[in-house]
Parts: sequence; structure tokens; C-alpha cells
Amino acid sequence: MLRATGVSKSYGGETVLRELSLDVDAGEIVAVIGPSGVGKTTLLRLLSLSSEPDEGRVTLDGTDAWAVDETERLALRRRVGMVFQEASLFDASVARNVEYGLRVRRPWGDRLREGLRSVVGGNGTAEAVRESLDVVGLTDETDQHAESLSGGEAQRVSFARALAVDPDVLLLDEPTSDLDPRNTAVIEEAMDEARDRGIGVVVATHDMHQAERVADRVAVLLDGGISEVGPTERVFEEPRDSRTRRFIDGELVY
Amino acid sequence: MPFESATQAIVALSASPALVDLSTLLGFPTLLDLPFREGYVSSIVYVSLYVSLVAVTLSTLFSVPIAVVLGLTDFPGKGFVKSVINTGMGFPSVVVGLVVLFAVSNQGPLGSLDLVFTREAMIMSQFVLATPPITAISLAAVSGVDRGVRDAARALGGTRLDVALVVIKEARYGIATAILAGFGRAISEVGSVLIVGGNITSADGISKTRTLTTAIQLEARQGQYETAMVLGAVLVVLVLAVNAVVVRFGDRGVQ
Ligand SMILES: Nc1ncnc2c1ncn2[C@@H]1O[C@H](COP(=O)(O)OP(=O)(O)OP(=O)(O)O)[C@@H](O)[C@H]1O
Ligand SMILES: [Mg+2]
Repeated sequence: MLRATGVSKSYGGETVLRELSLDVDAGEIVAVIGPSGVGKTTLLRLLSLSSEPDEGRVTLDGTDAWAVDETERLALRRRVGMVFQEASLFDASVARNVEYGLRVRRPWGDRLREGLRSVVGGNGTAEAVRESLDVVGLTDETDQHAESLSGGEAQRVSFARALAVDPDVLLLDEPTSDLDPRNTAVIEEAMDEARDRGIGVVVATHDMHQAERVADRVAVLLDGGISEVGPTERVFEEPRDSRTRRFIDGELVY
Repeated sequence: MPFESATQAIVALSASPALVDLSTLLGFPTLLDLPFREGYVSSIVYVSLYVSLVAVTLSTLFSVPIAVVLGLTDFPGKGFVKSVINTGMGFPSVVVGLVVLFAVSNQGPLGSLDLVFTREAMIMSQFVLATPPITAISLAAVSGVDRGVRDAARALGGTRLDVALVVIKEARYGIATAILAGFGRAISEVGSVLIVGGNITSADGISKTRTLTTAIQLEARQGQYETAMVLGAVLVVLVLAVNAVVVRFGDRGVQ
């Protein structure tokens, strides 16, 4: 469904990713593991269609995102959700945050009318908003202000916010690296739920145990390329690439 | 005058429900034994507010989009643009007044509009004075918005306009401060409004281009300290009232 083919990306002469290929299908979780600074975030930015590869193509259902005009790219981009390492919530209520993606997809006339109505008396919470918050167990916090949330709750809202628009693909950039075990478990369950809904999930993580727990497939990112990609169990049990094996065994220290 | 009625509405809005009821204070001299003709002070207040509010409103509509574009894009020469704006904040206001007066004079490019010693000319110079602080402070506020928030808005499917609106919303306190600073500079301005407006009243003592500041200056020079003090107090109350309105407006967005 979402596919990067031979993509390269460099920053100021420094090549971060070199002719790398990766794809994700509907209803599967792909974990991208690799040491810090290897380019996981860079790869996810390419997959989210917000950053253009120097070389190669990123396609969604066969459409090259950088061969179409901006309007069409926006339409493609809107099928791909992303959750960042930092929750980065808007200075607004939990409901307004989760609603945001839905709001920007509505025509301007409707948005203005809703804006006026919310000044007069409030809009009520959309079903999709409640449902997404339910996935991360935060339905009671709907009317709270984002600022009053704990770090874990904020990240769960951030997940719900990306889920609310029912994307085809969900990209998660180290979504649990700052979280405690309980919040981590909630996010991991939410990933499962997203997969059950037929969403293709890509999760970048440096937590190999998390990759083992949640992923159907694992891609190991080392030195600007994917050293190995395959079914989770196979990659962890019998890695074919020697660097992959050393990385998984913790011998490849960065 | 196209702005006349709109300003009257703004004046009524900012004055009536806020801290002081100006119409009571100014309309009934019996309540507060004011040492001047009825209508004199209220017409001065009206001219002051009219000129400053119109100028600041126009400047805000001009400055905030510029600040947002500057804050969200990178281009060569951006640093230069910023330093021009910052320089503008300290630009001598009498010089601004002089330039505007020349522009609207017979020899100037706008001479045919016949704007010498009019409120419109005062609005022009106030606009020029208010724009640098409003732009600079808004730009600082916009630049302070977390990059992650912008990325999130984009990642959630926002267009460039959506991202800009999110940034304005996140920066609203800073932008409110910017507008206040611009209003403060406009309503307290003496030199340039004196030059372009001429501090004129009509024969019956109603202000045409006399503002609180130029009236205070005149009354003080003539030894009318009591009148000058009252006018000064009104000026301070006005600034506080507008502050209160803007701060409350900023608060509303929070929930
Ligand atoms: N916008 C940028 N400009 C310049 N260099 C960048 C930029 N973004 C990333 N880099 C560089 O690219 C390399 C990969 O960064 P990236 O953030 O993709 O790594 P990562 O695998 O996500 O790391 P981490 O696990 O620490 O989040 C780093 O060396 C980084 O310095
Ligand atoms: Mg990263």
C-alpha cells in the first residue's frame, strides 16, 4: 500500500538514507528498529509524504506522491497519519485536539459555521472523537485542557488524534520512548486495534522488545540502509545479516 | 469617512461594559465638576480612540499576516527584513509625522486627496508608527510556537493556511501583547499627530483633530493644569480599559 522504493535522503552533504526500500500493507505492523541517529525519523518523514526524497519514489497505492501536484499530494498525505515522539498537543481541549484532523478536512463554510456555533454554545463531541479516545482509554478526559494532562496521557491523545481521521497508514515515531510501562501498554494495544481496523502501521523504535511484542514484520535500519527485513520471529531468531545479528545481540554498539 | 460608524461601535464596545462608563463620566459634568465646556472632552476622547483604534486595527490586519509568513518561511534576506522591522520600532515619530505630512501636502504624492490636518492623515502616521512594534512582537510570538505543533498540524492533514491559523492561535497571547503595544504607542503619541493633525478644534470647541495627548500638551502650556490632569487621567483609564478588553479577549480562547 505505502511503499518507499530506492529512496535516498541527505542533509547538507551528509547522506542519512541510501537507496532504501520499505513497504507496509493494510492490517500489518512493521517495526523499524535501529540505533539512535540512524535515520528512523528521516525515513518516517519520507513515508508521511511531508519530506521529499532526493532520489527514489514514495507511492501510495501506486501513485507517486512527488509526481503529482500539491492538491493531489495533500489528498494522499491525508491518508497517512503520524504520531511524533513528542505529543505536541494544541493549546486546546482534548476533544478539540482529537477533532483537528476531521475539522481541517471539512469545507470552509462548515468550519466557519461550527466556529460561530462553538462561540455561542459548544458543538458536542463527534462520534469519531469519542471512539478514538476510547481506544486509548481517555473518554473521561474529553473536556480537559491538553496542558493538564500527564506526559503519558498527552501521548495517548496524540495517538487518538492521528487515529480519528481513520487513516490508511499510521506512522509512529518512537511513540513510547518517554512513557512508563502502563502507558506503553495502552499505546501498544492501540496499535493492535489500528491493525485490526485494517490500518497499516509503521512504528520506529529502539526498543527491540517492543518490536518483538507488536510487530508482524521488522526492518532493521543500519548505516543508511535496511540491513534486514522479515517476519519478526525470523529476524530475531535467525538473522541472516551479520550486522543485524550483532545489533540484535547488543554487540553492535553505537 | 468610511470608518466612522465602525469606530463608533468599537468606541461604544470598549468603553461601555468595561471598567468605566465613559458616557456617564463625560456626558454629565454635574457628576464630576469638570472645568470645561460640555462636549469638549468627549469629542477629544472620540478623536483619540477613533484615530488610534482604526490605525491599530488596520496595522494588525497588515502586520500579523506578515509576522506569520516571516515566522513560518525561510528565505535569503530574512535577517535583514527583521532588522528593518526592529529599527522601525525605534524610529523617531516626529520624522514619521513629517514624512506623512509631506506625503499629503500639495507637493506630496497624495496631495490631491486633500488630507492635511485631517484624521485620515493622523491614521496614516499612526499606522506607520504602530506597524513595527505589532509586527516585531507578533513575529517573536510566532517564532516561539513549538515546531512540533506545526508539524502535527501538517501531519494531521492541515494545509499551509491551517498551519498558519494554528500558529496564530498558539501565539495569541503574544499577538495580543503586540496589539496592545501598538495601541499604546498610537494613543500616547504626541509629536506626529500634532504635525499631521494640527491639534484643531472647530469654532464651537469640538475636537476635529485634537487628541488627548495634544490637548494635554496645549492645556498644560496654557497653565490649565486641572484640565490637563483630567485629560491625563482619562488617557490612563482608556489605556487600562483597552488592556482589560484585550486580555479578556485573549483568555477566551483557552478552553
Ligand atoms: N532537518 C535536518 N537537518 C540536518 N540534519 C538532520 C535533519 N534531520 C535529521 N538530520 C540528521 O540525520 C541523521 C538521522 O536523524 P534522525 O532523526 O532521522 O535519526 P533517528 O534514527 O530518528 O534518531 P533517534 O533515534 O535519536 O530519534 C542525524 O545524524 C541527524 O543529525
Ligand atoms: Mg528519531
